Amino acid sequence: MATTEYQRLTSSRARSSFAVAFMARTSLWLGADHLLFVESNGYTEAYKRFYFRDIQALVVQKTQKAAIINAVLAIPLVLILPFALGTQALGLKIFLFSLAGLFALILLVNLLLGRTCRCFLRTAVQIEQLPPLDRLGRAQKVFARLRPLIAAAQGGELSPETISELMRQQASSSEAGSTVSTGNPAIPPRVDS
Amino acid sequence: MSLPVQCPKCSAWLLEGIFNQPELTPCPACGVPLQVEIFPALFRKIAPGQSGETVIVEGESGCFYHPQKKAVLPCDGCGRFLCALCDCQLNGQHFCPACLETGKTRGRIKSLDNQRTLYDSIALSLAVYPLLIFYFTVITAPMALFVAIRYWKSPPSLVHRGKIRFVVAVILALLQIAGWGILIVTLATRHRS
Repeated sequence: MATTEYQRLTSSRARSSFAVAFMARTSLWLGADHLLFVESNGYTEAYKRFYFRDIQALVVQKTQKAAIINAVLAIPLVLILPFALGTQALGLKIFLFSLAGLFALILLVNLLLGRTCRCFLRTAVQIEQLPPLDRLGRAQKVFARLRPLIAAAQGGELSPETISELMRQQASSSEAGSTVSTGNPAIPPRVDS
Repeated sequence: MSLPVQCPKCSAWLLEGIFNQPELTPCPACGVPLQVEIFPALFRKIAPGQSGETVIVEGESGCFYHPQKKAVLPCDGCGRFLCALCDCQLNGQHFCPACLETGKTRGRIKSLDNQRTLYDSIALSLAVYPLLIFYFTVITAPMALFVAIRYWKSPPSLVHRGKIRFVVAVILALLQIAGWGILIVTLATRHRS
């Protein structure tokens, strides 16, 4: 049955802020030998499988989105509160406090969710952004879960010393022109045999 | 020394020392905090494609699609002999291009299944949303019932469970149809009297 085949890694998240309106949701699921990326619009689901043996790199980039959201919510909160405290009209007071409470609640939720980030998964043929991993804490938890699985599928993790050694080997082989940059940052470099 | 991994923000090639660090490390070019996990697959060379050997000895098995090429193995789907060029390896199995295409279109090879229509969600939406404007249910309730019965056995979402949406859609649709039936009978009875 499907439920035993995949374990949920992230809850369903909007692909972007604009995608909320179109019900476009994305989520990540853990399979036996791959990571399943699900994009859904509510009526169809599209799947992308990233096999552990093919994953070359996982990249987390911290972003300022959480700080910007906090600022955007804190400014009206600070502006509304003095008016709410100062006004004598009961109806207006209730309205302003409700509005301030709403901003405060969203601010609190955003603070609790933590710092924001963008995550990318790289294989030999693609670099895929993982929108469900938009919070740093969650991304690090998911990557900590994936790391041993990917390492097991590829024969072990890479220590910094091993990376140095492999890079030296690659540098010597690339002198013969084995790796060619495609020029486009969205496309991984071409590897010629 | 750089690897073919780029900063997602500035697209600069990342240098040794940033990879597989336990904490976020600033990008040497733009300073954005990054955490980059790399795996042995990054250093793996891509195996060159094979074109298939020409049949030299008379009586040697030839490929079904290229009779002049030497057969190397049979297709796991149809049993036809394949040359190295026609051999498409997928999760340890070997398929000919035709079986791969058939397997994808007919959903026989599950790992190639990259899109599914969620008929249960469609049936449920047809049963629920029109309730907002009740008059529409005279058309949508039979439609919901039809979709639920017609697609009862269709493959569900890879990651979601059960047929609960279908069941709820059928119950709601039947209730709506029954409601319309009662309304029509009541109106007809009143009209007669």
